[in-house]
Amino acid sequence: MSDGFEASEFITGFIAEAEEHLTLANANLLSLDQAAAKGQPTPRQVRELFRSLHTIKGLAAMVGVEPIVDIAHAMETVLREADRAAGQLPAGSLELLLRGTRAIGQRVTALAKRKTVATAPAALIEALNALRQSGSSRPEAAVGTTLPDELWTRLGSAEREQLVQGLTAGRRGVVATFIPAPERANAGVNITSVRERMAAVAEIVKVVPQSIPASDSAPGGLAFALILLTDATDPVIAEASSSDVSALRPIALQAATAAVASGQEGEDGDGEPTDSDDDSNPRQQGVVRVEVARLDDALEKLSALVVTQFRLTRALAALRAAGTDTRALALVVADNGRQLRDLRSSIMRARMVPVAEVLERVPLLLRGLSRATGKQARLELRTGKTELDKAVAERIFPAVVHLIRNAVDHALESPAERRAAGKPEMGLITVVAVERSDNQLELTISDDGRGVDAAAVARRAGVPVPATDDGLLELLTRPGLSTKSEVTTTSGRGVGMDVVKRIAVDELRGALAMTTIRGQGTTFVLRVPLSITIVDAFSFVSGGETFVVPVAMVEEIQELDPSRTVRGPDRRRVVRATPDRRQVARGTDMIERRGEAVPLLRLDEIFGLAGDAVAGRKVIIVRRNGEPFAFAVDRMLGQQEVVVRPLEDRLVRVDGISGTTDLGDGKPTLVLDLVALGGKLSAGPGPGRERARA
Amino acid sequence: MSELHVLCKVNDTEYVLPASDVLQMESFAGATKVPGAAAQVAGLVQIRGRVVPVVDLRVVFGLAPVPPTLDSRVVVMKASERVVGLLVDSAREVLKIPADDFHPPPAVLVQQTDGLVKAVAQVGNRLLMLIDFIKVIGEEHHDGDE
Repeated sequence: MSDGFEASEFITGFIAEAEEHLTLANANLLSLDQAAAKGQPTPRQVRELFRSLHTIKGLAAMVGVEPIVDIAHAMETVLREADRAAGQLPAGSLELLLRGTRAIGQRVTALAKRKTVATAPAALIEALNALRQSGSSRPEAAVGTTLPDELWTRLGSAEREQLVQGLTAGRRGVVATFIPAPERANAGVNITSVRERMAAVAEIVKVVPQSIPASDSAPGGLAFALILLTDATDPVIAEASSSDVSALRPIALQAATAAVASGQEGEDGDGEPTDSDDDSNPRQQGVVRVEVARLDDALEKLSALVVTQFRLTRALAALRAAGTDTRALALVVADNGRQLRDLRSSIMRARMVPVAEVLERVPLLLRGLSRATGKQARLELRTGKTELDKAVAERIFPAVVHLIRNAVDHALESPAERRAAGKPEMGLITVVAVERSDNQLELTISDDGRGVDAAAVARRAGVPVPATDDGLLELLTRPGLSTKSEVTTTSGRGVGMDVVKRIAVDELRGALAMTTIRGQGTTFVLRVPLSITIVDAFSFVSGGETFVVPVAMVEEIQELDPSRTVRGPDRRRVVRATPDRRQVARGTDMIERRGEAVPLLRLDEIFGLAGDAVAGRKVIIVRRNGEPFAFAVDRMLGQQEVVVRPLEDRLVRVDGISGTTDLGDGKPTLVLDLVALGGKLSAGPGPGRERARA
Repeated sequence: MSELHVLCKVNDTEYVLPASDVLQMESFAGATKVPGAAAQVAGLVQIRGRVVPVVDLRVVFGLAPVPPTLDSRVVVMKASERVVGLLVDSAREVLKIPADDFHPPPAVLVQQTDGLVKAVAQVGNRLLMLIDFIKVIGEEHHDGDE
């Protein structure tokens, strides 16, 4: 179905929206499960779940993904009926709904990966459909309505049943009020005529006379409440009752045990359950979903602006040098610079997502795991209001999943074992997210399970038992060790710990720590930066070493053409090469580029690396303050997104090197700031560092 | 301060470092060079995901650097917020040295090592020199590349 589909931007939009609704659906399923376990009614969750699936169905139909339409439709039908039964789901439906949601999720993922979308699983659809038939025999006793007590109590049991059944069948319940008055009677409008007119547009369940305070509009102090089932619209009913639309009150189904008053049942032609709790999802309001790529694009445009700002600054300096009074202009340029920085931080903020949102799938994960393992686990999730960069969130979540999976699979004991150990049968998994002052997020994942068996881990690794938790963690995170099944089952910890470490430590430049107490449980602490700098970068080799340079910094990459290279006259000695290396000569070679003479700098010479005669086949051109520099390098390796970590220790703080990254070989690779390097070289070997850049 | 010390060798001379300041000891197979950094900076290594500058103690002590061997170790140390590795020829032993056993180094030694040796301890017939880690890596406010 997705093959050959032209409107790929619709697909992208669909995937984004569908994922959002799937997330909502999962949250509601979970809440349903919890409420059902406590025997609470679940009308709100059912209604919201219905809405999510209804939306997914509509979207899927728009982009023509039939399998998703089919699954969503079957689920939606079950939910519609449950909604009419005051949110009472037939037994066994939760499992099927979970499966359905998963099935939709899988198909959305397939779509996102441009794979063929599997047809709807027939068994699931059948099971969902079967649910509907069996579901109609639900106990009536649990159901009531939102009819006010003073009216409900006036209904006989047959009338009550009539009302509930009508509502269950999808008809609207309305209470209309007719107030007799002399002028109305003179016009021939009395309760009898109202009854007659009403009978034509609605089923009258009961007419209840009520005494009300006498007033101008109700001189008799009497009113008739007409309890109606209807398919007609409010204006029609209002007209028939000679009253205003605002005087109509809807009747909705409600579980008899629930004391909460439900809100309005609105106008809804296709029988879709309507909002009763508009405040149920406040964060949906005023929210726009944006692809991260668009924010990246905005950042990129911003860097172009920053370059323009540099040029402005330079032009300003030239003016000043020529004797012009530039003070007023300088103020404007300074303002501009500040605004650019503000804009940058705004864009960075737009990339932040609440931690709570990142972890909202955790309860569902835990639920699935407890089901699969037969272990009972309670989750304590404390996330606060911390936000973190989307890119970090996307990377850290799999690590959290690993840790929780391990906790349930291996750390938590079976209920019987726990009982024997004097622990509560239900295990406890705690996930806490706290923002630290150093712009780091601390994620703590603890269990009250059996703790890590250091001896077993050490035996497996063939090393002495580590004396500390750090040493034990080091063993656990060794690649290869973790996959051994024996460790997995006996140590209480294992699978994928190397993955967790790789994500938290290597990719995100964070930290991973563990404390474990035999018989009492294990706590993992993940510390990751709230945001990371991810840069699109070129990697290249010069003098046998690999470097990367941000793409945004590079104006052009070209072949080094010896025929257009001019050797300059001045070959002075370099003073700033690393002292333990040979002092190398640096020439002031130039290349001609579009009529412009560009200084050609050999990176291996500048860095005092072992250059060779054949080196310098590619030229990376950067521009600093409008002035071009060409850096000759050996060869280009590729282009990729890298996480840049700044170099903080003063021992390694050097102009022209903005940080390090890991290209996947486990070794730090230097990220070069060729623009600063060019500036430093043109400033000559004078004292001091490059002036701080704006 | 703990009495435990990590014993390491540089050019067959034995030095000790307080174990309480040692984060870990790693084998060494080369570092990413940082052009422009001071001569004693052997480069950067990634240890447990953390990028750590490595100072070659041989160079600090005025010796020529040697290619790494199987015995080469990076002793990763921390001082307040900084984490720096010291490259040594080998580091195998951990010794318990009571604080009383340390004595101020002879003036000549202080002079010749630029104060890099904080104290000297005699353990059996061995003479062990306690390295002043902060001196080796330089104070943070002190501006580098000389």
